[in-house]
This record gives sequence, C-alpha cells and structure tokens, in this order.
Amino acid sequence: DSHIQYERVGADVTMKCGSMDWDAAVTWTANGTDIDESHLNGSYLILKNVDLSQSGQYSCYEGSSWHLKYQTSLRVGTPPKEPVLMCRSNNYPKGFYCSWHLPTPTYIPNTFNISVIHGTKDMVCEKDAVPKNRCHIRYLQLFSTVKYKVTLTVTNALGKNFTTLTFDEFAIVKPDPPESVVAKPVPNNPRRLEVSWQNPSSWPDPESFPLKFFLRYRPLILDQWQHVELSDGTSHTITDAYAGKEYIIQVAAKDNDIGTWSDWSVAVHATPWTEEPKHLTTEAQITETTSASTSSFMAPPTTKICDKGAMVGSGAVAVCWTAGLVMAAYSVLFI
Amino acid sequence: MAAADSPSAALRRRDLCSRGIRLAGKMRADVVDLLDTYVEQQGLDASVSVAAVEGVPPAAVERWDEQTGTQRLLENLAAYRAFRALLAQMLEEQREQLGEADAGLGRALAAVLLQVSAFAYHLEELLRLESRGIPGEEEEEEDGPPPLPRLSVFEQKLRGLSVLRELAQWAVRSSRDLRQLAKPSPATETAPSLAESP
Repeated sequence: DSHIQYERVGADVTMKCGSMDWDAAVTWTANGTDIDESHLNGSYLILKNVDLSQSGQYSCYEGSSWHLKYQTSLRVGTPPKEPVLMCRSNNYPKGFYCSWHLPTPTYIPNTFNISVIHGTKDMVCEKDAVPKNRCHIRYLQLFSTVKYKVTLTVTNALGKNFTTLTFDEFAIVKPDPPESVVAKPVPNNPRRLEVSWQNPSSWPDPESFPLKFFLRYRPLILDQWQHVELSDGTSHTITDAYAGKEYIIQVAAKDNDIGTWSDWSVAVHATPWTEEPKHLTTEAQITETTSASTSSFMAPPTTKICDKGAMVGSGAVAVCWTAGLVMAAYSVLFI
Repeated sequence: MAAADSPSAALRRRDLCSRGIRLAGKMRADVVDLLDTYVEQQGLDASVSVAAVEGVPPAAVERWDEQTGTQRLLENLAAYRAFRALLAQMLEEQREQLGEADAGLGRALAAVLLQVSAFAYHLEELLRLESRGIPGEEEEEEDGPPPLPRLSVFEQKLRGLSVLRELAQWAVRSSRDLRQLAKPSPATETAPSLAESP
C-alpha cells in the first residue's frame, strides 16, 4: 500500500518498513536511489532535521528477495501562518467578494473554509471557479448598520490558522478604476488636453449609484502631480498644460457617497497641440532686422512672426504680440 | 395620475429630487460629524454595537431595487417623521442633563433636526406630486406622535447613538431612493394607492 506522510521542516522522521521486524535486512530507496546504511537503525529509516529537498517517494525492500515491503510519499512542509484576507465591493449594490492568500507557502496542500455572518445570520460565500482563492456574496440587505464578520480558516496536515475581518457595508465599497481613458490635444490650443473615460464595467448601476472621479496629470519631466476632483461627467479639459510637453494622465473613481477611491487607471500619454513652423514674408524679415529682442530665442529668418500693425513697444525692444507669444512659449521649453 | 405624468410635474419631480439629493448629502455629512462629537461627549466607545432600539427606524431594507416609487417615498417619510420626534427628544434630554454646558452639541442637534424637518417636507411635496395623500397627517394634528419611552441616562445615550447611526444610513438610502425616483417614470405605477392599502 502507498501512503502519504506529512512532516514539519526540521522534524526528525522515523519510517518503519511496514510489518518487518526491527532486525530484518532491508534496503531503503529515496526516489529510486539507494539510501546509505548510516541512515538506518535496524530496519528503520531515520531522517533527522528534514528539509524540503527530502520530500519524495521512499520505498523499503526486503534484503534478499527485493520484495517491496513498504512505500510512502514524504511531504515536508509547514503549518499555515495566519492567512491574509481582503473583502471588497466593486459592484455595489450587488454584493462583495473576499479573497485570500497565505503570506508564506506551506509546500503541502491546504484547505480554506470561509464563514460570513451578518448579525445573527449565516451567509453563504460562493467560491469562484477562477481564481480559486476567492468567493462572492450577494447582499440580502442594503443600508444596514449591522457589521459583517468574515472568518477564514486554513487547515493542512500539520496545523491550522485563521483570521477574521469585521466591516460595515459602506466601508468596503471600492470601484475598479475607470476604463478606456483617452487624452487628446485640442487643435489650436497649445495648453489644453481633452481627457475622457468610462465608468468601470463592473459597476452595475452608475445612474442610481453615480461615481465621482479624481484626475491627476503631470508633464513627464516633472515629478509633481496636478489633481482635479470631478463630481460628475466622464470628461475634463486640462487648460494649464505646458506647451509642447508630453503629459501622463490617470483617473480614479469613487462612489459619490460611500467607500474609498479606486486604484489609478492605466496611464495615458498626450502632448498638447503645437503650431507648425511657417515661412517668413518680406515684411517680417524687414521687421526682424530693425528690432532687437530681449529673449534668448531668435526665430529663423524664414518664419513669419507677425503683421506690421501688431507691434508693441518702441525702439530697440519693439516686439509684436504674436512674436511675444511665440517667444514666451519657446522660453517655457527651456525651463 | 394624469397630473403626475405631465411634463411640468415631471420637471417639478426632478427638481424636488435634485434638491432632496443635495439636502440628503449635506444632512449625512452633518450627521457623521455630529456622531463623532456625540460619541466623544457622551463618553461612548465608537465601535460599540447597539442592538435595534425600539422606535428608531432601521435603514436596512431587503430587495431595495424592487421597491416602487411610492413605497420609497412612504418609507422615507415615516422614517424622517420618526427621526424628527427622536431628535427633538434628544435635544430636550440634552438640555435637561447638561443645560448650557454642551451648547455646541445642542446646536448641532438642532441643525440636524431642521434638516430632517426640511427633508420630510420635501418628501411630502413629492407625495403630493404623485397624487398620493400624505399618510397620518390628520391623526398627527389631533393626537401628536406616540410618546417615546422614558429611559435611564445610559439608555438615552445608547438610543441617541442608534438614532444618529441609523439617520446617517437613511441619508444615504434617501439619496439613492431619490435618484431612482428622478429616473424617467414608467407609464403606470403598480403600488396600491393609499385609499386601497389596509
């Protein structure tokens, strides 16, 4: 008969060769390889301070006949540590799910048992097929002040452990991040970016349970985020973007009244619209050669900057409005 | 039912619902702040579980999504009328116990009481719009609400905690109920009218 034997890491293990006497002549193998006689005490196999590498198939054969007398599968492992349990409602008001895992592996099979109590009522948490370490519950009541108590027990051949979570209905509400985030430049607007997104598809009724949103954005070259909170709508126009700079943008969601913010959405990148370089006319060329600029930037002579009538100032520092704007925009590039 | 279905009635309903939702949101925020103050000043443990207290309308509801508009309005109205009486009682007890020593808590209670009264009025307006009679109005005018049981000081504190907790939940529920009501209404209302109900 084949057996399975579970032992703790570090334990001393003694294996008997079935019903053979202590003084019988036997040979032990581990995964088909003969075990040295130094590990034997009579016909008993002694393994001291076992480690994970000693897991395997152990067989005992009668000395002369080589008849198989005993076989066992040794599984070295550990009892379970306190499991990590998390419960969350990303589909309020339909229900919530709980998921769990062990902080360290046990290296042997574990079984998980979850119980959910609402007040005095036992509720059934239906296990998900995928992933295996998750179950879900449908809310039978809404707006209750009575807390939910979830207890997860993990058991294996070497021991058991458990953890308990207690929470109220509102506290665990956390939507999934917004989906399909898109950011686009706005034509002829060098400082604007149009951002749009959609409600997470897992949120079942955004009309009755509307979400609010938090948008964050920054140019790639800077570390500091700008934040905007939006109480309705699924779009926003950024109006203070640095011209010509690539931006990274993310959005998060939260139920209008309860719960916590979602994780940030997938990041999107966008750069505001910039004007195409244009050719200078003869008039602009004359204007350029007769005026001095205080800016460190000088437009190339073939670029049309401005019309004759749009001049500001006088003498050596006369500049036109358009030139001034262009120079200011380019100056930002060098900060 | 013709009045309830007219465009002006629909607009009026949407307007009342929008204002009601805003009021419910403000009310909830104020009740949550008041809860923190109440727990601290009454020397209570914020995490203490309080069993259902007689007379405090629980916000918990089963099959919430299956309720008709009229059911929502009637249940809300009954709850806020009860809270109006409970908060008035709490205010009186507060003054008896602490006098002027706790004026801040008294003012906060009075402010919430005002909001609860305003919300009850909103609900009555919505019910009138639905061409429903206002339940219990005549009885109330003649006899007043049933008297609340006299409790020990400690029981009063626990009841107060229950009142504020359930009111905070009701404020969220009411906001959701009004959003449901603000949706374009179906052609017919399936709930029995007040004249037909037992």
